[in-house]
Amino acid sequence: MFSNLIFIILFMLGFYALIMKTNLIKNVIGLNLMEAAVFFWVISFSDIGGEISIHKLGETMGEFNDPVPQALTLTGIVIGASTAALLLTLIIELNKFSGTIERDEIEGLND
Amino acid sequence: MAVLEIILIVFLIFSAVMAVRFDEELISIIFLSIFSLILTSLYLLHKAADVALAEAVIGAGLNTAIFMSAISQIRHGDSD
Amino acid sequence: MNKLIKKTLISTVLIAVTFALYHNFALMPEYQGLDEGISDYIITYGLNDTGSLNLITAVLYDYRAFDSLGESTVIFGAVSGIVLILSRKMLPVSSKGLSFIVKRTLGIMTPFIALFGFYVISHGHLSPGGGFQGGVILAAISIIFSIVYGSAFDYRRYSPQTKTVLETVGAMTFLGFGLAGIVMEGAFLNNLGFLTAEKGTLISAGSIPYINIGVGFKVGAGLAIIFYSMIQKTFEEDF
Repeated sequence: MFSNLIFIILFMLGFYALIMKTNLIKNVIGLNLMEAAVFFWVISFSDIGGEISIHKLGETMGEFNDPVPQALTLTGIVIGASTAALLLTLIIELNKFSGTIERDEIEGLND
Repeated sequence: MAVLEIILIVFLIFSAVMAVRFDEELISIIFLSIFSLILTSLYLLHKAADVALAEAVIGAGLNTAIFMSAISQIRHGDSD
Repeated sequence: MNKLIKKTLISTVLIAVTFALYHNFALMPEYQGLDEGISDYIITYGLNDTGSLNLITAVLYDYRAFDSLGESTVIFGAVSGIVLILSRKMLPVSSKGLSFIVKRTLGIMTPFIALFGFYVISHGHLSPGGGFQGGVILAAISIIFSIVYGSAFDYRRYSPQTKTVLETVGAMTFLGFGLAGIVMEGAFLNNLGFLTAEKGTLISAGSIPYINIGVGFKVGAGLAIIFYSMIQKTFEEDF
């Protein structure tokens, strides 16, 4: 119940930054915030109070947390960083081409 | 442990709001780096060690460096 | 349409999405992944099947190794796109770097950072870590060279051609172990069982340590190439 509210707040903050701001770098920051909200919710929802999921030699096994959502989150973090780098490269080239990084002022985009 | 989690979540939402608010991009990226750092300790509180290590290295290290170099090329580009 | 109508419409969309998310979460039951899904099997039989103590590494590199191959392909696509857009034909020359104290301190600290990166990569199946985390730590060394010592130092020590060769070697290692799985065990990316010693030592868990090393080199070299292409290079002789 608690983690659902936090997810909604962070996701809507990122969504607001993606739609309402006209600075292109703010849009990339909003995209990063949305992804971070999803990862935090996945880890927090699958926590049943167990231990870290690594076996220790010579001791009996307690109750482990779920390893599958953690593996998916790890993949997602790396892909999020790669996507942000590619988007920033395109913004650098767009800045050289038209001289501005506001969404309203780029010519040919608002016809 | 519940009190620590509530304090960290309050700081998380505060830094996210500050990252969205400002117009100058340098301040936004510093708040994004603080957001990533607090998220690392929250992952560790939920007993996910691999994810915390990955978020610490990628989120607080590489992402901030790439954003800073992109902003330096946009705002002060070819100024030599 | 003028700005006021536009802002009202966007605010309505935002409030509607918030309502939809809230009602979605009100109808969701408790977490049932451990009763109905596959996680129960992985927790109970993971150590006997693969031989690795770290269950998350077993999931990422043995049960779902095809997804890690897809992630490496995404990194390769991003690196190719960035180098295609931002490459220049002129030789890069340096900037000055930072002050003397910083250069001296990082000259002492850098071998230990490299040692820690290799430790995290190779002990992926015994403690938290693995290929992706250790690879990014190794990429941080190249970033330190570019920032503290100037980009000409980084170009002379590890040129982009060397990094490209390292990335290709890492990818070929991963694919080679996948094809060896077809030849020796019967399916793509199966774990080679005959390479294993007893549990808990460094050379256990079949082909997982070697796949970790391949992925570590690939990710580290790829992210170092991304950072090197994106920094601003000045064009005056400094030495």
